[in-house]
Amino acid sequence: MMNSGFDRRDFLKVLGWGGATVALSGCGNGSVEDGKETVVSYVEAKDYVIPSISVYFNSTCAQCDAGCSITGRIREGRVLKLEGNPDSAINRGKTCGLGQAGVQHHYNPDRVREPLLRTGDKGEAISWDKAYALIAEKLNGVQGEEIAFLSGGVSGHLKVLLGNYLESLGSRNHYVYEAIAPAVLRAANQKSYGAEMPRFSINKAKVVLSFGADFLGSWISPVHFSQQYAQFRKGVDGQRGVLVQVESKMTLTGANADRWLPVRPGTEGILALGIINALGTASGDIAAAVKDYDKQRVSKDTGVSAEQIDKIAALLKARTPSLVLVGGAAEGYAHGSQNAAAINLLNHVLGNVGKTIGVPVSVPFPQMSPATGNTAALQALNNSLAAGKYKVLFSYAANPVFTAPTVMKFKDNLAKVGFKVVFAHYLDETALQADLVLPLDSALEDWGTQVPEYLAEGAQINIQQPLMEKLHENTRGMGDILLALVKQRRADAYKDFDDYYAYLRNALLQNKDALGGSGVDDDYFWNDTLSKGIVKLAGATGNLSGTASAVGLTLPPPAAADTQYPLQLIPSINASLRDGRHTNQPWLQESPDPLTTIVWDSWVEIHPKKAAELGIVEGDIVEVTGKNGSIKVQAYLFPGIHPDAISIPLGRGHEAMGRYAKGYGVNPFQILDAVFDKETGELAMHETRVKVSTTGQRVIVIKDEGPVGGKQMGRKIAVRVPSNKIDLSKEI
Amino acid sequence: MSVSTLLENWSDYRHLHPVDDVPHNPYKWAMSIDLDACSGCNACSVACYAENNLPVVGREKFAHGQAMHWMRIERYWDEDISAPGGRDFPDQGAQFLPMMCQQCEAAPCETVCPVGATNHTPDGINSQIYNRCIGSRYCSANCPYKVRYFNWYDYPTTDNVWPAEMNQQLNPDVTVRGKGVMEKCTFCIQRVTVAKNNAKTQGRLVRDGDVQTACQQACPTSAISFGNLVDPESKVYKQWKAQHVELDKEAQTKDKEEGGSDLRGYRILEELRPYPSVMYLERVRETAI
Repeated sequence: MMNSGFDRRDFLKVLGWGGATVALSGCGNGSVEDGKETVVSYVEAKDYVIPSISVYFNSTCAQCDAGCSITGRIREGRVLKLEGNPDSAINRGKTCGLGQAGVQHHYNPDRVREPLLRTGDKGEAISWDKAYALIAEKLNGVQGEEIAFLSGGVSGHLKVLLGNYLESLGSRNHYVYEAIAPAVLRAANQKSYGAEMPRFSINKAKVVLSFGADFLGSWISPVHFSQQYAQFRKGVDGQRGVLVQVESKMTLTGANADRWLPVRPGTEGILALGIINALGTASGDIAAAVKDYDKQRVSKDTGVSAEQIDKIAALLKARTPSLVLVGGAAEGYAHGSQNAAAINLLNHVLGNVGKTIGVPVSVPFPQMSPATGNTAALQALNNSLAAGKYKVLFSYAANPVFTAPTVMKFKDNLAKVGFKVVFAHYLDETALQADLVLPLDSALEDWGTQVPEYLAEGAQINIQQPLMEKLHENTRGMGDILLALVKQRRADAYKDFDDYYAYLRNALLQNKDALGGSGVDDDYFWNDTLSKGIVKLAGATGNLSGTASAVGLTLPPPAAADTQYPLQLIPSINASLRDGRHTNQPWLQESPDPLTTIVWDSWVEIHPKKAAELGIVEGDIVEVTGKNGSIKVQAYLFPGIHPDAISIPLGRGHEAMGRYAKGYGVNPFQILDAVFDKETGELAMHETRVKVSTTGQRVIVIKDEGPVGGKQMGRKIAVRVPSNKIDLSKEI
Repeated sequence: MSVSTLLENWSDYRHLHPVDDVPHNPYKWAMSIDLDACSGCNACSVACYAENNLPVVGREKFAHGQAMHWMRIERYWDEDISAPGGRDFPDQGAQFLPMMCQQCEAAPCETVCPVGATNHTPDGINSQIYNRCIGSRYCSANCPYKVRYFNWYDYPTTDNVWPAEMNQQLNPDVTVRGKGVMEKCTFCIQRVTVAKNNAKTQGRLVRDGDVQTACQQACPTSAISFGNLVDPESKVYKQWKAQHVELDKEAQTKDKEEGGSDLRGYRILEELRPYPSVMYLERVRETAI
């Protein structure tokens, strides 16, 4: 079976925890039999290393910020697989595909392994001592306001340490940037409910009306919401929950809806007001605000039929409580905040606030709660860079050269910074612009604490711990690097901590009482915490204080027809690839997009009717042109999209990063217009208008679905049954 | 085997495994998948790659139909979507279907293997013996579900399949397959074996919940159940029983009721008489909206 070059003995030969090389005796026909190799057994085996027996350690998934707890399966010192930790209220033992691929982040062959210093176009490997010395030298004489730190979302002790470092530098320029973040929603929720992220109880709702919230795919905490969704479908007493999804491009959640309504792009808020009008239960200023939104007008504006609006209103009246959700599809416009406010208003009118929209809990250590990212931060940073404000820039867990629209000229502005330090796992597009690249440990090698933005039940602090020894000698944990850097400024304050591990341990033990360990021995508490991987806390609960008011709510009419650029470009979010930071994990590249089943490439979704109008068939390479550039991409005819919109998925189109990412697909971030939400300043991701033209080239689309395009040809394969024909209460 | 012997002794050749005088005892592994819970997210598929050492074949080979996804999510649209006179939009969503080896009791793949590389275990799993397989691919041709995957290449030595470091992730409990052999879903037999051995050490049988398949363990909506169909305490047994789906029927009694059954359980391509061990529960769609 295992022949020709793949050496079973090499495969089994691994590093134990202590670093001793061990070969296993027994079967096989490798070089031991030839006398070329010696079998060395453990005289005394390291703790937890028993050949062939797996051990399990708890940690936290770092593939996204949802904070799912994971259990790593470790055998002979290697981490093999990640499973969900059943004790976490967030994921309850479950994982998504993205989380499963965490091991491929760790074992990735394209990870950066040495600190690299730019010399011309090349990176020269240098030692860490030299790298630290260089940073100290470059910071020497630089004012605090000339230093900026760009990062993705951070929380826990890393955020504390990062804050301390910036303080020691005298800099207040921390830009927290996430290319895909529900930032408009946070602001709208703050106004509507008095909390950025209230607790959503899909499982308690009898009807969920979602305006583009892809809660089964990529929205906020998808594994948690998937479990809620399963309970919602089972329902209470056999009363199965009903999902209605309103969006211009079908998401995974839309594909699971009982009714999917293709709405004209940007008119989500109008539809929400139309439903309030149809409900007829609002009073006061809300009634006044919706009185012009009668069915006929709303139907004309949104493309949703008057009959359908009536049906939704009737359903929402008949089955309570319900839950109305706002997703990226409603947020992504210049009037995104207004859209979100109008949709949130529905929850007030329906009386859902306090029932399915609950009070959030928070960790009682505000300094550890997450600094959440947004795109307004990118705009602010970009403006400062353009003005030449910064001499030194640090970048961590962000790839703005890839994710910023080309029209912002981020790459050019970045070049104005004298010294750019990028903490990187891969040599991605941003790392390639750096003067100094510092290689990071993988999430499965590093220590840390994490506090998720969305806490499922009680408050919890997630523990991240190494699941195996480091693969590469010269990578470092982000916490260790920050500690070393802060020691350059405040050696005395941190002299007791040899490494980030010591810092973390000390920090947690100092607060032992508050963390549920009062009266417990230090070592016991620490080991117990690591073994559980989660610290559960009595959370601080807030209040929902927002009021139902339509004051200041003004929605623009639907966008007028544009003859030059007739189509709306919807950059879609694939649950696995998201903003492209994990594209170099081959399982994710080969995992078919759930809706199109396409792998390893990008595509543009066009409604079959529109395609017929434009003379486009599947596989045509089309040019998608907007005001700020064009991209060429294969066409896929997709019925789940509004005919006035086209959609290209984000995440692919890397020009760097690694062998599994580079050169596959196109990057729609590039051609986005720089339009911003009027209230929050967030990048309006859906505001780009484009035209589509054929190029005369055609390819075969590489996809998993069969040649008939997903038809069952009359066979009983995947079957659907109407709800009035079955009785779920009898089921097990 | 001549055609006449085959026809004369049909029931000897095409029978349920195991034969009547040796019933499934003490195990018969089976599954049930609730399509109303399944969201089509692909977590199961990626989990299967991680557990079972599935090679990532890359763009070119995927285009040639050489993908190795033992567990795949099929996505269907209604017949009338974008068809002449039909609806323009899939306004009731898509249909997702996790498809993997159905572990048929009278598996069409088994009877055609010239070397007996694929056969039935006493606990009802359709097994694949890699070092007996000669790569005739008859089994794949005969599989109605198209869930058998052939190693056209020697993936362990193919560039960028398991390059250095990536190979350290390989699960030592699962054979890495070489060129020229057929492979498919095993119901995570390595996990089943561990559970059986553990139970044996404790002098008992495997209890429901002792073993989870990788897809089941990952599934964010818990749509997949797996267990012992002859154990009345198992969830799978209860589900099959409640849904009136019987393993040894080629057409379920409930489907013959007037007006059809109001139960959701069904098996795919049951009428071909492979007696699959996977029951699906129909997806439900609300009539009030």
